[in-house]
Amino acid sequence: MISLRRVWTVAERDIKMFMRYKFLLIMRTIWFVAQIALFGLIVNRMFDPSVQSAVGGSYFNYYAAGIIITMLYSTAVFIGYDIYEEADHGVIEYLLSVPVSRKELVLGRSIGGGLRSFIYVGPMMLFILYVIGVTSVFQLLTALLSLFLFTFGVAGFSITLAVTIKSSDRFDILMGVTDALIVRLSTTLYPVAYMPQYYRGLASINPLSFAADLFRWGAGLEAEALTPPLIATFGIAAFFSTFTFLGIFLHERRLEGGGWQ
Amino acid sequence: MAPIIRIVNLTKKFGNFTAVDHLNLEVEEGEILGILGPNGAGKTTTLLMLTTVIKPTEGTAFVGPYDVTREPDKARTLIGMAFQEPKLLWVDAPWDILNWHAKVCGLSAEERKKRVRWALEELQLWNERFKSVHAFSGGMRKRVEIAKILIQRPKIAIVDEPTAQIDIVGKHRIWNMLRELRDEGSTILLATNELYEADVLSDRVAIMHRGKLLVCDEPKKLKDSIPGGDVVEIALEKAVPSEAVEKLKGIQRVVNVLAIKEDYLKIYLNNAEEVLPKIMEFFMKMHVQVKSIRVSEPSLDDVFAHYTGLTIEEAQRK
Repeated sequence: MISLRRVWTVAERDIKMFMRYKFLLIMRTIWFVAQIALFGLIVNRMFDPSVQSAVGGSYFNYYAAGIIITMLYSTAVFIGYDIYEEADHGVIEYLLSVPVSRKELVLGRSIGGGLRSFIYVGPMMLFILYVIGVTSVFQLLTALLSLFLFTFGVAGFSITLAVTIKSSDRFDILMGVTDALIVRLSTTLYPVAYMPQYYRGLASINPLSFAADLFRWGAGLEAEALTPPLIATFGIAAFFSTFTFLGIFLHERRLEGGGWQ
Repeated sequence: MAPIIRIVNLTKKFGNFTAVDHLNLEVEEGEILGILGPNGAGKTTTLLMLTTVIKPTEGTAFVGPYDVTREPDKARTLIGMAFQEPKLLWVDAPWDILNWHAKVCGLSAEERKKRVRWALEELQLWNERFKSVHAFSGGMRKRVEIAKILIQRPKIAIVDEPTAQIDIVGKHRIWNMLRELRDEGSTILLATNELYEADVLSDRVAIMHRGKLLVCDEPKKLKDSIPGGDVVEIALEKAVPSEAVEKLKGIQRVVNVLAIKEDYLKIYLNNAEEVLPKIMEFFMKMHVQVKSIRVSEPSLDDVFAHYTGLTIEEAQRK
């Protein structure tokens, strides 16, 4: 029987822990500002009207929404790095000894890892929503709910990889490559209209595409989406379920016995 | 009464290395059981299996009614562990660590606040409660680790080398706090390689070496189990004849008598407190006055050496 109190206690720890990495948080905020205020604005000027119309009138808005999704993704995967830090200091052994089941532990960490990403990106998201101008509150709430699940799924994904690989160097490299592929093979930054067919195929099964399409739909952007909102929502729910389940499964089998590098 | 911990054939192998080898042990409710052994004896591995942090290769253990291999979640509800190496992240502050620990153990907000404050004050960490442990000394980190179980007050408290890196005043404070914890109803499993700590704190001591349990009993009984373990040195007013020395050897529990000088004897025996009056009576009957007596008991190191042929220090080196 899973206790919500214990799940929340685990999640709360991860949220508080994240807020202590002040340097990281400041640097990520600077990165966000630079992406929006420098890259976003300049690239927007480079595109001719045909491009702007393919993304609902403003590439800047399209891009800004996409950047929010990449921010959610990159901060939610940070839980995997936390696991290495904890392995290094033996905190994993401590967490395995407390009166919390493995299921509650992984679920709590997925939720904590996702929620802290949402809390951190929240103000930036609000700013972008203000810039874009929200048209339907219902759509926005639906999208936000799905994005919650998306961040939990990303955290579960990161936990799964971290406990499978057990090497911080390899994890670091893998996350770098994964980040490059998963962000670029999606609709976060690149409009569907300009994607080659084979690229579309991969992007259409990418959870970042689901999240980006849903967020733009929720914000009322009339950009062409790769997946309809309902399918994107199901896609995110499947992503969350898969990696939470895998995280629990592997956590029980891989964490024991050390072997962390 | 059924034992609160029952370890049955517990074995842990890491590849070809057997860290714990078919361990069988029972721990009674309300006792402090010291597990004594050199580094690498298998103490920590045993404790980690009891706390379900690692899984046994063979055998099992019952914590209360729960089998650690089948009901690990339930077993953990009865256990609290203070690890050998403090498990802290550099960004952590004592207040947050202990408050979270108390919360995850199910203490109410009010109780949490009260117990965390008490433990921090008792362990002299109150002024540092919001400081990052990054700047803490080894002893301070260790105190934070110990505070976890003092706050939790679990049914079974497992402490792995609780006073390593802690000064002598701090050691005594922690020993007293562990005794209080036991008096409040907790059963304590104490792993240590400090002989004195095991001796003064434990109701019973289990001696482990190379993954195996050698012996387990009360410290006094373990010491008495060494033939001639107690040594009585007697200085006499005048020389005694050699026949008297032979007669002394006939007293029950006297193992050997050496005449260092004609008026100075060294007597190897067991249960000195029971035999000494008989020795005194013997010399009184002989009208020989005793000038001085010095009694020395064997240490747990002698017990360890008796069973292994090595002192703990030698075993540690090997």
